[in-house]
Amino acid sequence: MTEAVFRETAAEPRTQAVPLAHLSLELGHLYMEDFEAGPERLRRHFAQVVHWAEAVRGSTAAATGKRPRISTCFLIDDYFTRFSTPRELVPQLLEEAERAGLSIDYLARESGCAVADGAQVAEAVAGRLVESPPPGAYGARPPAGQTGWLANGERSPVARTPQAMKKAIPWQAPRETAARQHSVFLDVELWSERPGGGKLWSCPFLAAVWQLARLGLLRHEGQAVLTPRPHEGPFPDDWDEMPPLLQLQERAAPFAAYRTCSVLPNRFMPVEHAVRVVLDQTEVDPGALQQVAARSAGEGAAVPASVADRISYVFYAGQ
Amino acid sequence: MSPRESRDHDQGAGAVLLCGEVRTCLLPAHQALDVRAAAQLLRLRADERVLVSERPNLYARSPDALTGVDCPLPSASGAKVRAVGTVAARGALTEGRVLQTSARLSLTARGPDHRQPWGHYLVRPGLLEPFGRLPREAVAEGVLAGARRGELDVGLIADGLLTRLLRHPLLDQRPPFKSRPTRLRWTALTAGPGTDRPVIERLTLAEDELRTLALRVPSGADPAEVAALCEDLALHDWLLTTLVRLLDGSRLGSADGTAVVRALRPAVDHLLHLWMPRARLDPAFAALWDALEERPGFTRQWEALVRRIRDQLALHAIPALHQEAVMAP
Repeated sequence: MTEAVFRETAAEPRTQAVPLAHLSLELGHLYMEDFEAGPERLRRHFAQVVHWAEAVRGSTAAATGKRPRISTCFLIDDYFTRFSTPRELVPQLLEEAERAGLSIDYLARESGCAVADGAQVAEAVAGRLVESPPPGAYGARPPAGQTGWLANGERSPVARTPQAMKKAIPWQAPRETAARQHSVFLDVELWSERPGGGKLWSCPFLAAVWQLARLGLLRHEGQAVLTPRPHEGPFPDDWDEMPPLLQLQERAAPFAAYRTCSVLPNRFMPVEHAVRVVLDQTEVDPGALQQVAARSAGEGAAVPASVADRISYVFYAGQ
Repeated sequence: MSPRESRDHDQGAGAVLLCGEVRTCLLPAHQALDVRAAAQLLRLRADERVLVSERPNLYARSPDALTGVDCPLPSASGAKVRAVGTVAARGALTEGRVLQTSARLSLTARGPDHRQPWGHYLVRPGLLEPFGRLPREAVAEGVLAGARRGELDVGLIADGLLTRLLRHPLLDQRPPFKSRPTRLRWTALTAGPGTDRPVIERLTLAEDELRTLALRVPSGADPAEVAALCEDLALHDWLLTTLVRLLDGSRLGSADGTAVVRALRPAVDHLLHLWMPRARLDPAFAALWDALEERPGFTRQWEALVRRIRDQLALHAIPALHQEAVMAP
């Protein structure tokens, strides 16, 4: 049979490819409380991170067997609380990183994980949640993402007030679906309702979106989203005027990468556990998934099939 | 649309049995939807486009939505085989008038005897892995016979998506005429090497609204393409069924000409232009229509029905002449 002569472009799905590094190394998150604690906090943070970053570089080089492409990034919260201005804060941040001998290639705003360049990024990821079915699920369950909560197993049944003459149902334990003998059950709040209407995305959910962005797996109608823009001129006075993802170093390796590693203080551990629960139940764009799989395999750096297995962390003791 | 551009990952790698179910119904809206409205109706995901095609007819199809399952498979032999994975479902609208939802899955010949992390299944959309070995013939038969409670029910998933689409605010719930939805349940066993063409083994009009279709397809066949064939068959079977019903209810031959015209008019307004078998099928699957045209002769029946409707309308369009003939001595 001959190939189709007649084609309709609107009827063909396309997925834009993005450049990929071997590793996206996250040098930290900055929240208001960190900022309020003064520059010493940042200094202590980077002084810790520099050692772990070196170790991560070494292990990546050993795994790839050559000089790996590694890009570094840093995330600033401008979603939950607004503080300071880019003009004041960013140079301070870069100075502290440099003092420790670290270079930040890409700077991201957390609100870019909710909405970036007009694309409803978080909403789109929420639409891709496919809940892990507990044993016995045969297709009658409602789709994910209606309640705003996502669990890694089956919740305890809701205790109802016992009716007269009926026995009260005894408490039943929740159960982690992937449990080995015993459960570590986690129920993650993905969003809450804003007082004025609309969704307020939770920190773990935005962090999951952030991971997908760093893994080069986010698309909007096949187009890449949260793509880096080069930094020009002074930093603006308003966070909204700063691109959601800013490229600070001209010669940096690509922002997105086959794998990610984040160096964070251990207070982030519960959040990042939640991130794994979300990623483990997110069906990412198959086109993007295929591109990353093909390119990484072609380079002899094949990625794990499961997205949640592509992320790693270093949790250090401290604030 | 090029079939080779299919974005599905469920290319049937290692799949030995594909199955699914299609629901077909009249869109409950007074006006047929235009391209934009169709795309809006079928937008199941904020970040994925609805596929829209305008040649040779107007057709829109949603992206796939996945549902996770972990349950026993139906089986004719009574064997209890548990399987885990995702079922892919999509909706489609033809000429803004006929709405279909279709759920499908592929099963591998064997799988690990314990459940894998969920991420393992999510990167294989539409694929289910059995615990141990799959008794594929027994499961294929079991699927066609219908699931018992607690067993995998693909139809429920197609139903769930249909219910979701039917609640869309774009639909005014005023269909132009009465009709009944139909269900088509299908299985496709993959054939060994040496078989390069798909074949229809059995098409059964089981109950009133249920059809079952047993196929055999080459190994490696794209489940999305097999589902597309089944959707195409289901669409045309629904058209035939609906037209037959309209004619049945029109009391042909009765004296009241206006009643007949009123009964047949929806067919002309909404159905007659929809007949277009194999409009977007992969050539290998389109060829299966030849067998159906031979026996039972889908298009033959359709053309006969259409002629009958046109004759009736022509007859009732000349009442004066008719009256004169009766009055002549």
